[in-house]
Amino acid sequence: MSQAVGARSVGARVLRSEDPRILTGRGRYIDDFTFPGMLHAAFLRSTVPHGRLLSIDVSEARALPGVVAVYTGEDMARLSTICTPGGTIGMNAMPGIKCPSFYSLCTDKVRYVGDPIAMVIAESRAIAEDAFELIVEDIEMLDPVVTYADALAADAPLLFEEYDDNVAMTGEMTIGDIDAVFAKADRVINATVNVHRHQPVPMETRGSIASWDAAEEKLTFYTATQSPHMIRLLMAPQLGIGMESIRTISEDVGGGFGLKNGLFREDVALAVASRDLGRPVKWIEDRIEHLATGGQAREEMAEMEIAVDADGVLLGVRMNARLNSGAYPWDPFPGAMMVGTLSALFQGPTKLEAIAATSTAVFSNKATYVSYRGPWATADFLRERVLDIVARELGLDPLDVRRRNYVHLGEEPLAMLTGQPFTGVTTQESIEQAARIVGWDDFKEIQRAAREEGRYLGLGMASYLEAAPGPKNHATGQSAAGMLGNETSHVSVEPDGSITIITQQHPHGQSHQTTLAQVASDELGVPFDRITVKYGDTDITPFALVSTGGSRAATMANGSVLHASRTLREKILAIASELLEADPRDLEITDSTVNVVGTPSISVSLAEIARVVAEEPDRIPEGVDRELTASHEYDGGEGGWSGGTHCCFVEIDVETGMVEIPRYVVVEDCGLPVNPAIVEGQVRGGVAQAIGAVLLESSAYSDEGQFLASTFMDYLLPTTTTVPNFEIHHLESVLTDPDVNFRGVGEGGMIVAPAAIVSAIENALEPFGVKVREQHLPPARILELIGAIPTE
Amino acid sequence: MPRFDYNAPSTLDEVLALLTEHGDEGKVLAGGQSLIPLLSMRLARPTQVVDINGVAGLDSIGVEGDTITFGATVRERQAERSAVVADRLPLLAEALPYIGHAAIRTRGTIGGTVAHSDASAEIPCVVAALDGEVLVRSTRGDRVIAATDFFQGHFTTAMDDDECLIEVRVPAQDPAAGCAFREVARRHGDFALVGVATTLTLGGDGRIAESRIALMGMADVPYRARAAEAALVGAEPTLDTFTAAAETAVADLSPASDVHGSAAYRSQLARVTVRRALTAAGARAHGESA
Amino acid sequence: MTDHSIELTVNGVARSGAAEPRTTLADFLREELTLTGTHLGCEHGVCGACTVLVDGEPVRSCLMLAVQARGTEVTTVEGLADGATLHPLQQAFMESFAFQCGFCTPGFVMSTLALLRDEPDADEARIREELSGNLCRCTGYQSIVEGVLLAAQRAREEGAVL
Repeated sequence: MSQAVGARSVGARVLRSEDPRILTGRGRYIDDFTFPGMLHAAFLRSTVPHGRLLSIDVSEARALPGVVAVYTGEDMARLSTICTPGGTIGMNAMPGIKCPSFYSLCTDKVRYVGDPIAMVIAESRAIAEDAFELIVEDIEMLDPVVTYADALAADAPLLFEEYDDNVAMTGEMTIGDIDAVFAKADRVINATVNVHRHQPVPMETRGSIASWDAAEEKLTFYTATQSPHMIRLLMAPQLGIGMESIRTISEDVGGGFGLKNGLFREDVALAVASRDLGRPVKWIEDRIEHLATGGQAREEMAEMEIAVDADGVLLGVRMNARLNSGAYPWDPFPGAMMVGTLSALFQGPTKLEAIAATSTAVFSNKATYVSYRGPWATADFLRERVLDIVARELGLDPLDVRRRNYVHLGEEPLAMLTGQPFTGVTTQESIEQAARIVGWDDFKEIQRAAREEGRYLGLGMASYLEAAPGPKNHATGQSAAGMLGNETSHVSVEPDGSITIITQQHPHGQSHQTTLAQVASDELGVPFDRITVKYGDTDITPFALVSTGGSRAATMANGSVLHASRTLREKILAIASELLEADPRDLEITDSTVNVVGTPSISVSLAEIARVVAEEPDRIPEGVDRELTASHEYDGGEGGWSGGTHCCFVEIDVETGMVEIPRYVVVEDCGLPVNPAIVEGQVRGGVAQAIGAVLLESSAYSDEGQFLASTFMDYLLPTTTTVPNFEIHHLESVLTDPDVNFRGVGEGGMIVAPAAIVSAIENALEPFGVKVREQHLPPARILELIGAIPTE
Repeated sequence: MPRFDYNAPSTLDEVLALLTEHGDEGKVLAGGQSLIPLLSMRLARPTQVVDINGVAGLDSIGVEGDTITFGATVRERQAERSAVVADRLPLLAEALPYIGHAAIRTRGTIGGTVAHSDASAEIPCVVAALDGEVLVRSTRGDRVIAATDFFQGHFTTAMDDDECLIEVRVPAQDPAAGCAFREVARRHGDFALVGVATTLTLGGDGRIAESRIALMGMADVPYRARAAEAALVGAEPTLDTFTAAAETAVADLSPASDVHGSAAYRSQLARVTVRRALTAAGARAHGESA
Repeated sequence: MTDHSIELTVNGVARSGAAEPRTTLADFLREELTLTGTHLGCEHGVCGACTVLVDGEPVRSCLMLAVQARGTEVTTVEGLADGATLHPLQQAFMESFAFQCGFCTPGFVMSTLALLRDEPDADEARIREELSGNLCRCTGYQSIVEGVLLAAQRAREEGAVL
């Protein structure tokens, strides 16, 4: 196939198409939309963590000038169908899971601080909030359920009284001969590792505008989402209408990190109100609501028994895993379902021989557990902590322990215990490169010299594999696309010869408008700036449950566009060959023009081809496809792993507990980057969130279930002074697929970095005998760990 | 925000008349960097907001003998850029950049911060360290209130509802004294966990002649560690001396516990920060940079 | 609560509107003047997304009442580009791939403008210190800082006017 002449777009740092509008303030985020007659919604929320909603009197609120309506749970029961989270896609039928049903506003109970008990619709948000003061609710307080112990206590108050307990999900998994493995082990090490609750916190909060058209009996739902089709799929049954009656529109989205991949109760209530009132209704969450109710994540732990041999090789793990999923399960991915990942994904790139796990997720009086960038990240945190723990227990270098534990490409084992092949895995190469770059072997001496000056330096390492999208499994036939399915895109030639791509992706920072155009540019021979990427309107985009999430776009979206573009190219050349009377094999496309190779004067532009197809179709013989559009449903091809190794340096002020990160090194393998600048941005963003998680962020609740971090004064995000410059090195990849070797990096940084940072902190505090079995290490905790202050 | 009536008088007399008329339903608006978030979160509900930004004559930094005066609406940014402050109140100059970020300091006022009386804030701490005073006025007349009497508790001052802060007065520092402002916060620009403002004057014999130590974030007002100050007089300016003074300064305090740290953590931070601040002040008193 | 009339200059153009006293400058710009480039990230003055210039100085527009902006000159992110030509700071940010989702961007642009006009020679440490009042969740900040340094360099070496 002829190649376009000139510099390739893929692999280059092409400037973003998104930037001119974003930099000039012309982005269109949900709060930027207004419509005639639009009303504003505000949610009155419970300040009590657990209670019975005995009564709620909204009569005075309804009478406030400027208030148009006030809805309670009773109204929702009358005007909507009850929600069973996960029910639309069958998640509620997962073995061992419990998915209670509930309405979008509280009917009989309040179950967390922030639980919405009434929705006021008014001429302005301010008036709606004024009305709050006129609402009288009578809540009988019940004892709160906050911790795992609270939830699992024999006499625990029940969050959902239709169940006998507060267990949201149980599961068991055993792979391999766990007893034999433990019998042959030289050592069995016990460790319990805890990850604290923290949350995605995009800079844009949640928000939607529901606009019901009474004449058409259709809902147009404008929202900040990562997955527009998911919204209509999940919303429809609750409104008692077909999915075809809902159109979702989402333009610019100010970050999601997994949080905007669900349907929220507030969204449903909004749609109900719009239909009831016949007017558009807007809700924009404020930051206090967002921190308290938008969604939280990562509250997980595992008690582990680790069987190792004398060389520190992990043989097997017995695990009792827990997850705190908060009160209301998320729709469509109830948080409880993630508890199984702690064991299922524990192995990573190691040669583990057996794993046996019991998993328990609990309900509690906390906000809903949502997916957060790498929702299975705790599994990697556990494994990497275990490797460091093993090294410490056996007196071995953590780097040597990793060398002994990680698989070697081409050597047994060739697949994980769960069956996925270790195709193209470069973990060993990544640790060697990382160790070389950071001067691993020289660090001990540097550290010792610093200690003599009273300075505490630390160096930590962690590695990971990420199924982004994961390899095709030739043994089982499982495609690389996996559970979330194939990806479709449409690529077309416009009348002016430009190219339009319609993608099922929904970028919210991932720069797909740029990267997909880069791929099409190379395949079609059309300049990058003549290619437009469209997304975000379910009337035109291919259906997908999850549009953007799971670090799939690099392979799935680019692959789909690549193959669709190739099909379109063939069509273009077939038509051009008729018009130019030349063999298609003698044709090339450069700068939107088809010409005979070596004879540029024999040419026809794409615009001319489009004109002929539209105005003089008879010039094209029967049998030649005249449709200048192509689609491709991509199954991921050979797919592959992303992964790598992170190394973190810290310096700790042991008098104040403050941790600085003077240097952070990333060695990553994500196949071939479409745009290295975009890849680097994704890695940095993920690691920054990990720094936040370890040093700053905690979705803290009091023992009584009061939420303690509802402003940015208390929920602390990392800033320019907490995040260093990153050194990102790209590892030479093993190419697995003949055409598509782009793999995802969106989540990798956040998955592995917490372990690298914690590893460094533990390393720095070794003189104090500190063992770190947790992920949140704010300054006060550092001082507790070293014994400078008593533990609270 | 809740509803309120907004008044933007152009004279002080009008301001005072409004405050007299409305009593505890009235609230003065100066910089707004503390009041407006409280309004947004509906934690403050005045029915009358009296915006004093339009009143002439309140926005100057003056020198009256050995006293530096700050009109009620002098911006923090203005003080940060002031040669008078840099020259005569180096402790304040060192503290000002810790206040939030430039955008906050563009609007925030010295007077407003003092009137807000947040025990974790920088300016009240410095004013307390330097024994400043506050001039307040009402239709009943003027009062000059010493810092120690002015700050009475969390967000509580000696001002009556009908009084408006007119001026903050701070004695110029002894140029021979060393001073240091040190703060520990979770991130740059955050509210302080703990902060210390200190001055140290050395006698001809090289021993400490006078010392002032004020702590923020450790009590419900800016706390003058008078016992520690007294114990320093006559002592040699050594690390051991400063360490002992830090112990004394913190010994009787019961700071808060919250999501950012336990009381024990704050006390530990305070001990370390007092010691480090005194060390820096001591070095500067010797003429060294610290 | 009656609406007050507010007249001010925004991006060099005389503008007027009405707002209740409790309306912030941010909401007034966005809703009354339909300049939605200024974003709201927290409404309590921490995140910096709402930063604009008032009489040339950086201000959190969520911490200023609209009525307080009467008679002032406000500059928002919409006032920087010259038609289709990006302002040199915007151009530098684009070339450094400074931003991703774009929500924090207007606040960063305005805060940076104020910083570089005040301290044209700010080094990386100063830049990080001053921009620590603007939160970004996507980028990890490095690309933003690189953009600031690039803009500052162009102002110094190529006469770019920020």
